[in-house]
Amino acid sequence: MKRVLPFTLTLLVASGAFAQEPPDAGAPASSSLADELDLAAGTPSKAAPVVPPQSPVSRAFQSLNPDISVIADVTAGLARGPSYSTAGDDPVLSHAVGELPAGLTAQEVEIGFQSVVDPYFKAELYLTIPNQSGLEVEEAVVTTTSLPANLQARTGLFRSAFGRNNGQHLHVQEFTRRPLVNEAYLGVDGLRAPGAQLSWLVPAPFFLQLSGEVFAVGAPEGSPHLSTFGGTPASSKGASAAGPSLTGTAELKAFFPATESLSVSAGLNVARGTSPGLGCVPGPVVLCLDVALPSPSTLGAFDLYVKYKPPNVAGGYFALAWTTEVFVRQLDGPPTLPLSGTPGPDGGLYTQLVAQVARRWLVGLREDLLGTPSTGYMPRTQRTSLSVTYLFSEFARLRAYGERETTAPPGLGFFSGPPVSAAYLQLEVSMGAHGAHAF
Amino acid sequence: MTRTLLALFLLGSLGAFADEPLHVVTTIETFADLARSIGGDQVEVKSLSHGYQDPHFVEAKPNLMVVLNRADVLARVGLDLEIGWLPPLVTGSRNEKILPGQSGDIDCSQFIDPLDVPTTKVDRSQGDIHPAGNPHYWIPPVNAVRIAKGMMERFSQLRPGSKEYFAQRFQAFVADLKTRAVKWEALARPLAGAKVVTYHKSWSYVSKWLKLDEVGYVENRPGIPPSPDHLAQLITTMKAVGAKKVIVETFYNRAIADEVAEQAGATLVSAPSNVGASKDITTYPQLVDALLAALTK
Repeated sequence: MKRVLPFTLTLLVASGAFAQEPPDAGAPASSSLADELDLAAGTPSKAAPVVPPQSPVSRAFQSLNPDISVIADVTAGLARGPSYSTAGDDPVLSHAVGELPAGLTAQEVEIGFQSVVDPYFKAELYLTIPNQSGLEVEEAVVTTTSLPANLQARTGLFRSAFGRNNGQHLHVQEFTRRPLVNEAYLGVDGLRAPGAQLSWLVPAPFFLQLSGEVFAVGAPEGSPHLSTFGGTPASSKGASAAGPSLTGTAELKAFFPATESLSVSAGLNVARGTSPGLGCVPGPVVLCLDVALPSPSTLGAFDLYVKYKPPNVAGGYFALAWTTEVFVRQLDGPPTLPLSGTPGPDGGLYTQLVAQVARRWLVGLREDLLGTPSTGYMPRTQRTSLSVTYLFSEFARLRAYGERETTAPPGLGFFSGPPVSAAYLQLEVSMGAHGAHAF
Repeated sequence: MTRTLLALFLLGSLGAFADEPLHVVTTIETFADLARSIGGDQVEVKSLSHGYQDPHFVEAKPNLMVVLNRADVLARVGLDLEIGWLPPLVTGSRNEKILPGQSGDIDCSQFIDPLDVPTTKVDRSQGDIHPAGNPHYWIPPVNAVRIAKGMMERFSQLRPGSKEYFAQRFQAFVADLKTRAVKWEALARPLAGAKVVTYHKSWSYVSKWLKLDEVGYVENRPGIPPSPDHLAQLITTMKAVGAKKVIVETFYNRAIADEVAEQAGATLVSAPSNVGASKDITTYPQLVDALLAALTK
């Protein structure tokens, strides 16, 4: 009885929440199907609105307001010492338990607005509040929808298509923190700045897209180091005097559906600009600083995404995705003091496997390597991360994340530095109408 | 002279245009078959998904942008069924002809009367619901005829020279369904009033057509796995009211529905809901045949 009563109530509520079908839906029960087909074929096609105009609730669906969404990540964590670097949307542990950094933070609150502007443009605005540190514009971008010759243009402030991870927002990440190479080579905020992009869908039998971007990166306010790839560091000219400088990128993306269940996506990327100011001073104890590397530099990257996912779940929910990105950088000249050494090349990579092991469970393992090859100011750093995600629904998830990181003294190999570990528990909820994401 | 040359050029262009088949892309295979039935050799048709896939969760693979890039027409289900994957593909296709509201965009939900439209405020505590109505509407023959008619009219607007051809094919399509109607009605008659449970609330239109009585749902909140409590209550209800069938689409995992059917003493019906659900379902009439065969087995 205990179980039947709530169920009956649920059925009653559920049935009340839906409209009875319109009186003209289908055909009269007394007529034969052939007659109904004649009627459907003979009457003018219905062009009625999707929802009855009489309903005030339904009328709201025809609103011309933008789609609005809010995505919030709340994260608690504990670390055994500082990490090599921290991305702008990584969780900041602002308190301490004894000697250890610890805390609970609103890792990010993202507010999104998306809308079609007119027959020629669509627009997106994403505001972000990382770690309760104030409101920033993460992206404010206009995209064309009707350029000829398979061209598409974007302009505004947006994330570059350089690599794979850089273009993704926090809620698309499979791990609580971004890969090391993104922070080290594209800056703590990734490569995002005011700019313009022109992309061309190459007329080929498979997906092949070529894009070029130009960003005008200004000196960051109140910070001596660059927060993104490109621009002019405030420390070298002074924030007020420093004008924006141009950063250019080019990307070639290809996609191959190897089989119905197996997809391969690959990209070649190159960027030209000033490197962000993350470097480490060699010595008996490695000291990593946020200082400028004002030398112009060329950055190359290769990204690969291989996904196995059956076309349906009749045989089970297992799916597997492998992502790898490799970065290589060449400075035009040697870095300035306090850093020293040859201009490179240096580089890094990450590789990750994420498996869906049940309908609601995902497990991910990632290895980050910096210093492949290594320089005096880019020592060998590695991080191993494990992520376990529980999906409450499409709109809420809980993630447990742990990592272990080492930075090696000069001349020594990976895993030779003192280990620093951290653990996080991250709850993410998504509200409102957030647009679908690219593959 | 210039005007004459321009006129000749335009005529030549129109001639080339008339010879070119209409490139139709559909989001589900059932629409692809309807488009072929109406368009004949005047159309080239591709579907973005297969009938054995859940049309809610098709992956937005970039190769589908290439397919959409060459489309003159995009026929979609609408009512937010494809909202999780279609919009970025349409934007990425760079094809203004198929943008929402353009002449190449056919939202087929405009041709039918939607069921399950909420009349009270809804939120996601009820699961991943469709606020504009239930989008699983394409199986009942009346709706298939309405959709086919809408396609015929749009194809005729885009290829006025083939208007008669499309109209003839539409009439032939309706005539073919009418010849099958007697058999379908005979098969459907014993189903009237049968109490059934469905896995997802996706059979409302079929239930209305066949007069099935839906007494519950395995997934009572769409997109959210059912709780053990709900399943226990569902089994109790099924036993109490005598529900003897649990209907589940072929693309869902059957494990939970199997358990419910077994516990309630009912039969699990793995039913096709789209053309292409299995290799032997390649046309819309075959889909109806297979569905009725599964339900009456």
